[in-house]
Amino acid sequence: MTFEPNILAFCCNWCSYAAADLAGIGRMDQPTNIKIVRVMCSGRVKPEFVIKALSDGVDGVLILGCHIGDCHYVTGNHRTMKRFQVLERLLEHIGIDPRRIRLDWASAAEAEPFSNMIREFTEQIRELGPNPYAGSYA
Amino acid sequence: MLVLMLEDIRKLVKRTLDGGKVDGVLALWRENGRVGPHLFVKGDDVSTLEIDPKYNLAAVAILALASGAKKIALIGRGCDERALVELFKRYQIDEDAIEFIGMACSAEQAQACECDIPYPTKIQFGEKVDGVVPNELKNVDDMSLDERFAYWRDVFAKCIKCYGCKNACPVCVCQDCVLEDPMWVKKGEIPPEFPMFHLIRAYHMADRCVQCHECEEACPMDIPLTLLYRQLRQDMKDLFDYLPGASDAKPPLTTVLEDEKLEEGA
Repeated sequence: MTFEPNILAFCCNWCSYAAADLAGIGRMDQPTNIKIVRVMCSGRVKPEFVIKALSDGVDGVLILGCHIGDCHYVTGNHRTMKRFQVLERLLEHIGIDPRRIRLDWASAAEAEPFSNMIREFTEQIRELGPNPYAGSYA
Repeated sequence: MLVLMLEDIRKLVKRTLDGGKVDGVLALWRENGRVGPHLFVKGDDVSTLEIDPKYNLAAVAILALASGAKKIALIGRGCDERALVELFKRYQIDEDAIEFIGMACSAEQAQACECDIPYPTKIQFGEKVDGVVPNELKNVDDMSLDERFAYWRDVFAKCIKCYGCKNACPVCVCQDCVLEDPMWVKKGEIPPEFPMFHLIRAYHMADRCVQCHECEEACPMDIPLTLLYRQLRQDMKDLFDYLPGASDAKPPLTTVLEDEKLEEGA
């Protein structure tokens, strides 16, 4: 059986979730490997969310927010951006491939860039293969 | 040399207490053959004062101040000073309530802690020696991702989730700790889930670890925690030009991006 990536995407309510919606309305063709969790702001995404997802066996995690400067809460995505940089480094230190996580921005009108992101990321995870980091010591 | 320094410090503590500008001096003392923290007050026998082994007194200062002292002096090393700076910044201690008396660590002490900055910014006792780079740091850096994952997985498999690292840490000050929240860490399970438990703690240490090595010393399973935290400290330096405990700069993870500064009052 071929490997189908299981990807979790955190989309903010105001921009990237609307972009996902628009991509749906526009009937754009994109992989169905993504499970979207809607959050009010990408700043809501604690690094714990991402770590837990990887720890529980998700193959890749996407965080999508509004473009810098366009955040509905003005600076929510600033914090996401900083945390993400630290998280990426931390994963690398502990031996987890940081390519399994990605932070990107999509405005409510960017349905096409949104689908492209999903397509690219799904392909990237497909190449990386199943998540080898899942699970405890059991 | 160390003995002479100790005598000088004892004299200074006596003078400071007699001077009456502070309510007490927080330092280490020897009692019943053991060394531990103690708040010296006027009239106490300063000959029991000790400066070795290392014990981070920054967190004890919170207790000392909570017990009613208004202003105290603290005899500490570089890591004590850095921890104090972090605690001032996070509104745990009033900056004016502490008079810091700094000692530089000797080369042996620096080696024992593999400390990168074994001296405070204000040195009143001892002489500055160079920081130490642990050999293990290069080993870990040179590993491939998979090797590193295997390395940490093995190391963290020893964890008995005693929370010693958290309890010994002078800058772990949250009332409700994420590591005790069953949403993130399952109860009654050892070793704790890897990488969940240790990654959470490491992430939370990123902008506050002052490399005092208390966690590593407290760890009964000899997990090289500071190795990971040291790499993170370097990341904070690279990414945000920020070194925890070095200045009163705000922790970068709590601020907005430089180039998108907000208007006053926005």
